[in-house]
Amino acid sequence: MSPPASGGSGGRGVDPALPEVLDALRRRGLDRTEVYAKRGRSRVVDRTPGGTRVSDHREEGWAVRAGDDRGSLFASATGRPDPAGPGGPGSSWPEADGDALELAAGGPEEGAGPASPDAWRDPPHLDAPLAGEREALALLAAVRRELESELPGVRPLLLQLADGASEWQVASSLRGRPGVAATGRGRAAYLRVEAALPGGAGRRGVRAELETVAPEAGSLEARGIARRLADRLTVAARGRAPERDRGELVLAPALGVRLLEALLPLFLPPRGPELARHLEDRSGPLASEAVSVIDDGRLPGGVLAAAADGEGIPTRAVTLVDEGTYRGPLGPGCSRRPGWRDLPRPGPSHLYLAPDGERPPADLLEGVARGYYLLDADGAFSVDWDSGRFSVPVVGFALERGRAVAPLAGAVVEGRLGRLLRGVQAVARDLAFSPRGGGLLGAPSILVAGLEIRGV
Amino acid sequence: MARPAHPFDGLDTPAVARALSQIADRDEDLADAYFERLEELTLPAEGDAPGVRLRREEGLAIRLVRDGHSWMAARDEITPAAFSESLRRVARALPSAFYPEPRLEVSPPGAASGTEELADFPLAVARAVRARHVAFPLRLTVRRHRREIQVVGPRLVPEAETETYYSLEAEMPWGRWGTLLPGLDGAAEEVAGALVERFRCRNAPPPEGRSDAVVVLGSGAAAVLLHEAVAHALEADSLALSGGGAARGSAAERAVGVALGPEGLNVLDDPSTAPEPVRRRSDDEGSAVTRRWLLEAGVVRQPLADRAWARGSDVLLPGAGRRASRHEPPGPRSTHLELLPGDVPEQDLVAEADDGFLVPELAGGRLDPVSGRLVLDVPCARRIRSGTPADPVGPFRLVGAVAGLLEHAVAVGSTVHPGGAGWCAKGGRKLPVWATAPSLRLDGVEVEA
Repeated sequence: MSPPASGGSGGRGVDPALPEVLDALRRRGLDRTEVYAKRGRSRVVDRTPGGTRVSDHREEGWAVRAGDDRGSLFASATGRPDPAGPGGPGSSWPEADGDALELAAGGPEEGAGPASPDAWRDPPHLDAPLAGEREALALLAAVRRELESELPGVRPLLLQLADGASEWQVASSLRGRPGVAATGRGRAAYLRVEAALPGGAGRRGVRAELETVAPEAGSLEARGIARRLADRLTVAARGRAPERDRGELVLAPALGVRLLEALLPLFLPPRGPELARHLEDRSGPLASEAVSVIDDGRLPGGVLAAAADGEGIPTRAVTLVDEGTYRGPLGPGCSRRPGWRDLPRPGPSHLYLAPDGERPPADLLEGVARGYYLLDADGAFSVDWDSGRFSVPVVGFALERGRAVAPLAGAVVEGRLGRLLRGVQAVARDLAFSPRGGGLLGAPSILVAGLEIRGV
Repeated sequence: MARPAHPFDGLDTPAVARALSQIADRDEDLADAYFERLEELTLPAEGDAPGVRLRREEGLAIRLVRDGHSWMAARDEITPAAFSESLRRVARALPSAFYPEPRLEVSPPGAASGTEELADFPLAVARAVRARHVAFPLRLTVRRHRREIQVVGPRLVPEAETETYYSLEAEMPWGRWGTLLPGLDGAAEEVAGALVERFRCRNAPPPEGRSDAVVVLGSGAAAVLLHEAVAHALEADSLALSGGGAARGSAAERAVGVALGPEGLNVLDDPSTAPEPVRRRSDDEGSAVTRRWLLEAGVVRQPLADRAWARGSDVLLPGAGRRASRHEPPGPRSTHLELLPGDVPEQDLVAEADDGFLVPELAGGRLDPVSGRLVLDVPCARRIRSGTPADPVGPFRLVGAVAGLLEHAVAVGSTVHPGGAGWCAKGGRKLPVWATAPSLRLDGVEVEA
């Protein structure tokens, strides 16, 4: 596969093998065809109690979706697109079966606003080289050093840097007419740290993990990451569970991200609108006016920003919740395709709770006479969509007059999801993204009232 | 009997071995080449498009382990150039360094077939459900998995291995259910039985939480318990996470001789006795598999280890190295667990568990290797009244420390059944696991509603 002539989208530089595959499928009588090809390289470096591992990966594969009114197929294979089928010469295509296939037709939906692929310029970080072995090990050593400095006695269980770059192409044909033709590139560095703090000296043994992402490994900051994880472990080890209590809660961005992850079904078709109606029916809009949720596939500076989505449709910002009112699920231009093996599905790219650009997080904390500052979830954020109830184990601090007075652990926040969303009083400006839900989810600090917190 | 043709018969394995010996130039070095071909054919549930799905992939990985460091290069192609370039990458050699390009001929995969077999299975399940005089919405996805591998070391070239098996995913209004099967013949009845039991439990209330419950685990549930509480707990890498000395493998070595359960618990991992389509002679590192006693009379005998963890140890044996794909490093994992039978007839296990629960299956489990805390998800069960299974109860959890839970195993059934096959996704690396076990009774375990 030749690399695309440039980053961006619009069909420039599409490998000639792609239209050949489309032709081969059309000759089999399939009038809706799409071919997708991706290749990438990555370096993964990790340190565990078992030693150090460095692995270098080159991946290349392709996939087709094809069908007619009577049936459809999906086929994928390693290597370059091959008109002979998945497996190359001597291979064959599987017979189309089951239901008819609908492929995305092209441009953004009506009224969505301009999203010209030609207006896209690849961000400069796409051209940054992958982290070398020495550079990666130095970063991991720095994280370990900072962690041990912040929290004596801590045991790092896993330090892992995964740095990767990829490029992809997609082309389609719909009932004899050209469909999409797009190319794109991606680049991201993920850092994952898992650590344990053994019990003893008045503390319980705890374990915590943190994953963060940056456009390139050089942007990852060891000290900040180590400090966040050390805070998390310290609070979990020293914290005490509260009595059953109510009060104002400030959710740190990490917990806000877990909330958004739990809410993802609201934003996915086809069931999202039904779930939203279920929450709205009882007492008004979905959320308070402080809540706006946006997914933006071309977020400026976004690690996953791209001109087109996994189906080759131009990306754009989509408002899913507008000042508390549910607008709809992810639509055209919001299709995610993690790899060539995967079918494209609606999913988040940069899905975030819009921050209040003027408000520092300290404003939220200072306004709390008595309540809790919740750093993170300490387990699954579970939602029962039938009853509309949620439950999440949390760690953080008890607050009095805006100040942290005691660490909190072994606590659960629970209640009605609608009450949580309508109880959001304010958000701050400290928007932070984490790799979750198949994309990046972002949230600022959130002030919520009216929820119950109790010890487990 | 002649071995059937294997796609990797055309690999020049002696030349590959010679090339590996160029990078494994110290006595203690460990190097290998891993060649892999995968095929997955999926027939999704009715109404889902695309209607048939085929995935084929092949590639290779080269690995070198030296002094606690491991270097690996993985490629999505099997070509002499990719092999040579991977060797150079792993050896961290200059581009000018010469590495040979051995002949690597791989036979083409041929035409995709087997769709009819998959299409017939949901119909057979539907018939078997109807025969039980119930009807409910059911969406069944069926997959056939085929995996062919060849491992080559500098001094060792084991025979190529092939695994073929099937996976099912059922969606019902009250939840999902899944299993793995070595074959589809005759499996529809068993699947229908499990699905109908879920149907009958769909609105059952969860039990009250208590800390002294009596639970009879059916063979499938017992297998999941042992997978989490014995197999994962005795993986050399999991043991290392639990802390201890800095010496490599020391935590696993110290585990040997520890009493983890009562005398009636005899648990083995033996890939060579797995169902025939997934039976193995060597592991994913090319080491011969062994009949490994994990627990003998409740005492730890031989933790699960791969070559890297067993190297330099007088206690640990390799042969349990598994890799989820060429892009993942090998690690110590179980393949086919066996709980040896006890002497209590199955009906007696239940008869002596009055006011307890009969748990035919577990939906899954989670072991925290640091704390040793184990959580097992029970999707549905039957209350035992007057010595027989009675009213259904809804979802609940069995919780406790690994050793604590196993100590509660007071009786082992006398009849062994295959069961508990499923996906294990430790560390995000998804592997099929198999088991045979009798029923098992636990007295005094904690139930969380």
